[in-house]
Amino acid sequence: MSTTAPEPVAGARTGLAGLLVVPATLFVAIGLLGPIAILFRYSLNQFIPGQFMVDGLTIENYVKFFTDGYYLNVLARTVRVAVVCTVACLIMGFPLAYVLARTQSRFKNLLIIAVVLPLFVGNAVRAAGWMTAFGSRGALNASLMGMGLIDQPLEIMFTENAVLIGIIAVNLPFMVLTLQSVIEGIPRNVEEAAFSLGAGPAAMFRRVLWPLALPGILAGTILTFILAMNAYATPVLLGGPRFQMMGPLVYGQFAQQNNWPFGGAISFILMTATIILTVAAHLIVQRRYR
Amino acid sequence: MARLSIEHLRKTYGDLTVVDDVTIDIADGEFLVLLGPSGCGKTTTLRMVAGFIAPSAGAITIGERSVTALPPWKRNCGLVFQSYALFPHMTVAENVAFGLEMRKVSPADRIPRVAEALRLVQLAGFDERYPRQLSGGQQQRVALARALAMEPDVLLLDEPLSNLDAKLRQEVRVEIRDLQRKLGLTTIMVTHDQEEALTMADRLVVMEKGKVRQIGSQRELYEKPADRFVAGFIGRSAFLDGEITAPGRFRTRGGVEIGCAAATGTGAATLALRPERIAVGGEAQGLHNHFQARVEHASYLGAILDIDVSLSGHDRMLLQIPNKAGVAEPKPGETITIGWAEDAGLVYPREA
Repeated sequence: MSTTAPEPVAGARTGLAGLLVVPATLFVAIGLLGPIAILFRYSLNQFIPGQFMVDGLTIENYVKFFTDGYYLNVLARTVRVAVVCTVACLIMGFPLAYVLARTQSRFKNLLIIAVVLPLFVGNAVRAAGWMTAFGSRGALNASLMGMGLIDQPLEIMFTENAVLIGIIAVNLPFMVLTLQSVIEGIPRNVEEAAFSLGAGPAAMFRRVLWPLALPGILAGTILTFILAMNAYATPVLLGGPRFQMMGPLVYGQFAQQNNWPFGGAISFILMTATIILTVAAHLIVQRRYR
Repeated sequence: MARLSIEHLRKTYGDLTVVDDVTIDIADGEFLVLLGPSGCGKTTTLRMVAGFIAPSAGAITIGERSVTALPPWKRNCGLVFQSYALFPHMTVAENVAFGLEMRKVSPADRIPRVAEALRLVQLAGFDERYPRQLSGGQQQRVALARALAMEPDVLLLDEPLSNLDAKLRQEVRVEIRDLQRKLGLTTIMVTHDQEEALTMADRLVVMEKGKVRQIGSQRELYEKPADRFVAGFIGRSAFLDGEITAPGRFRTRGGVEIGCAAATGTGAATLALRPERIAVGGEAQGLHNHFQARVEHASYLGAILDIDVSLSGHDRMLLQIPNKAGVAEPKPGETITIGWAEDAGLVYPREA
């Protein structure tokens, strides 16, 4: 009897643990998986102008996307922008994250808040700020022309560069914070051991710091890549009407064209492309460094 | 291997002096231990030798090479950390080969050297394991093999045994010592553990508050401590504060007159006595200095008894008597006779 006595307690605790998972699970199921399933069903419907949506089971929406150069171009541009932004965030974010992780300064918390601070400003507000800075009569051009450095205003607004700058600015804090927490978990001694064994800074980075930071690098790149693939406000406001990315394209199909089936199909293509590229990068990196 | 010389080494952070004018010469193949309480500057000194901290002043020379301005990766110092600091993503063999890889030794030439290093630390056959699959003692041996494989000029050990449990510490201590002797490694070890320092070192450096208090062999430090700090830090001492009244005469604060050969000069001073030089009971009667003392406190420590006595209202001191058969443990409040020879004590000027 005495040996079985603790059983109910342990059992009750397991039950409680199960119970605690329920709210989040329900929320994800109802709030995310449900709509996605419905969206997927819509993407197989037919769109007949004037009739809105006709129930059906067709892949014509997907065929339309992959046979039209315009849409493929949008997808390619989106992937390109996301890759460039992610790589730029990694290159700029790693040194900053390293310094933040290793600093002994008592202002460390302030520094971390300074990194997060840009996120206090919403995407739309920030993009509006970029517009006033980079417009043809904006602060930057006015200053450069005022100093006589240029005759013609630089064309930054409504270019791919403007979108890249905008997305990098939004995503950089995510990359920095993810990397920082992982680098903090790597003992300083391990770096010192590498130095004492004759590794210069570059060799130490390549053979020790990078592989040990890899989980953080993967998490950070995945996070920024997904955010960049799905960017909406920045491409719309800084890219202008002719600079199309997948996020705004989806919205346009739903809100402006009322073409829900095609909008659903584009959503799925975007989601699938994001997942495939993420998983592929993950696998390649793991194979190379493990 | 090479000799190592540290000259007038100093490290300051703003107004704070962490290492103050440290000069140490270490002979080829010598095992030197830096010993001192935490914050005494021993680790900072070691890290300056390794190249992780830039000295504010002074010079470090390994063999004929001045390394003061060299980065750690050009110093050829093998380093073993308290926390092992193995590369967790590499196997044991990869860890040990790392230094060779950095020195552009070809993969084929690395194999026998890695095997030899692992054999030295008795870990042959552990090549393919990862550090997390090893015990603490095994990890520390891998760290040692890793430092040895690159054939360093100097081996630096930063509290290498502190993370190991007591039994393992004894074992690894002996292993490190044997290896060091066999390979003739010029070695500096930092520790706060006195027993560890005494059993391993050829020579010891006692540091306190950034300064070298004394450099010497175990016997020199114990029998001729240079100052009151060393007398209290290496082994135990009973201290009596007072003054020198005449050459060879010492009077305690409580007015007890003691004959002491080491008392020279005049003024406020402290008399230090090793507990085992103090005799108790009948043996004490015949000695030059003998007194009636009141037992204040007695602790039973197995082989010895620690006894805290007072000579007068102001003078308390510690003695240790062997726990022999038939010796009754003194009780607090009892009066016993204690005594010591005239040449037993050492006298230091009183520190402010």
